[in-house]
Amino acid sequence: MSGKKRTRIYILTAVVLALIILLPHVLHNDYYMVVINRILINTIVVLGLNFITGLTGQMNLGTAGIYALGAYSSALFVSYTNLSPWLGLLVAILMGFIIGRALGYPSLRIRGVYLSLTTIGFAEVVRLLLANLADFTGGTTGLKNIPCYSIFGFYFNTQTRMYYLFVVMAAIAFFIAWRIVHSKWGRVFKSLRDNIDAVEMTGVDVANMKIRAFTIAAIYGTIGGAMYAHFMGYINPSTFTVDLSTNYVIMLMVGGLESVVGCLVGSAVVTGLPEILRFLGDYYQIVFNAVILLGAIFFPNGWLNLAVTGVKKLMYRMGIRTAESGGGK
Amino acid sequence: MNTIILQLLVSGLAMGFIYALVGIEYTLIWNSTGLLNFSHDKLITLGAYIFGASMVLQYGLSKPLAILVTFVVMFLLGCLVALGIFNPLRNMRSNIFAVMGTIILGRIIAEFIRLYWGPVPFTVPDWLTGTFNFGGFIVTRANVIICGVSALVVITLQCFLTFTKTGKAMRCVAQNKKAATLMGINVSQNICITTGISAIICSTIGFLTIPLFTISTTMAATIGLKGFSAGVIGGFGYIPGVIVGGIFIGIVENLAVAVLPAVYKDVVSFALLILFLLVKPSGFLGKRA
Repeated sequence: MSGKKRTRIYILTAVVLALIILLPHVLHNDYYMVVINRILINTIVVLGLNFITGLTGQMNLGTAGIYALGAYSSALFVSYTNLSPWLGLLVAILMGFIIGRALGYPSLRIRGVYLSLTTIGFAEVVRLLLANLADFTGGTTGLKNIPCYSIFGFYFNTQTRMYYLFVVMAAIAFFIAWRIVHSKWGRVFKSLRDNIDAVEMTGVDVANMKIRAFTIAAIYGTIGGAMYAHFMGYINPSTFTVDLSTNYVIMLMVGGLESVVGCLVGSAVVTGLPEILRFLGDYYQIVFNAVILLGAIFFPNGWLNLAVTGVKKLMYRMGIRTAESGGGK
Repeated sequence: MNTIILQLLVSGLAMGFIYALVGIEYTLIWNSTGLLNFSHDKLITLGAYIFGASMVLQYGLSKPLAILVTFVVMFLLGCLVALGIFNPLRNMRSNIFAVMGTIILGRIIAEFIRLYWGPVPFTVPDWLTGTFNFGGFIVTRANVIICGVSALVVITLQCFLTFTKTGKAMRCVAQNKKAATLMGINVSQNICITTGISAIICSTIGFLTIPLFTISTTMAATIGLKGFSAGVIGGFGYIPGVIVGGIFIGIVENLAVAVLPAVYKDVVSFALLILFLLVKPSGFLGKRA
């Protein structure tokens, strides 16, 4: 790496950091901050889903179930014990570990569409149980007054404060996901999708790796769920439908499968675009879905990829970039 | 007590036939493209809306004519779906795109229904109402007609697949696409026709479930998912298996009401789905994949 390039990277990092820190002060609007906080939470969940659906290529349509269990385990733990939400987060992570092991096991025997159906079934059973075990979970009326996160008496109780907390949490999640994807595990996950028999021949414990992918994904999902519960302060089983699960897969698809940065882009597009399109009134949902559908048909590599290739082409044409300096992921 | 059990059996049988029809409708597409149509519950709803809201209540057509017109519209729509989604997306490097394509299509249809016909549920007057009395044992007319029509659909479909040239081509495409192409069958066109027929069966389910659920935007959400359970339990991709699975689920979940609290009725079929996938993924009648 040349010195000039390194300086450029430092400047870029500084600009991005400054933008992230200044964002709430520039926007001055709680509504935008709610949307941005939801984007951050969704990013964490999609980063997890990327391990199952993006890397190992197994269709998981049950993210809503994982997310719901994360939200409920943290919220219920905190409301029954009156302990800190941070301990609730630990309970949620433990829950994610259990779900990942339990869901990963069937994935050893069934593939493809059967796995999609199992995960849908799992999510539906979770939702119906949460709605019907009314004495324990609060049933369809939901859980109210879930406390927000706090550190040493400092409460993250406004949208801006939560934003800073969630940025840090999302950044940690992002960094870990990035490291895993670009490690030995990440390469094994990808090869599980491409040629499972060849992976087995090279001496990799396929069963163990598959369960590992599910466990990481489930832990990410439950962390996202717990953050959602303490962010909203109120949860209700009717949030966690099949529709929510498919939204997460759409985010992954929009960002481009297996790309870590794509998860952030996809979550921003799928969470943010409907809000931008609200000026269309009644028609905003139908327009949004049509845009996504056309995107899936015409840009199957994701919107991020499209933008990156577009910018690169433009740079070639303008002579800024030559073919040799191109590429480099 | 005996009559209650018998009543539960009959209504379970009728629901079972509905699940079996749902199973048949997506199995046709599964066999010919290797993809699941996750928008099928929205197609069922759309069929009911076109029939009930537009043809009968708005244009005042007689019911048989309304059914025919709905069939034509749905067939054309099915062909469009195949042209727009199944054909371009079925050869992508990951089947996630095609699956998500159908899911998003379902959302678009649901939004269209809400915008065009409005969100208020309604029903078609004098449509499959009333009861039959078999010597003191009372059955609703809807349940009897559901069983009859479903049986008719199954027989017609089997005849179509066995005796007509198009039906034979459909079975050919289901078995081996490359060989079918070599034999001069236009696979893309064949997939269009299959999807069209599947859409017709969807609208039939729509008509039949109007007296059970009334016409609303979410009328088919649960039967859509339970149809998938029916397929897995009976044997995925095998039409007789799907019928057995559907009837099995319908009867078991109705009898479960006699033992479990009624709110857990919907949990039963999903629990059965997961159980079967773990213990016997090939289902009752399916061959080992």
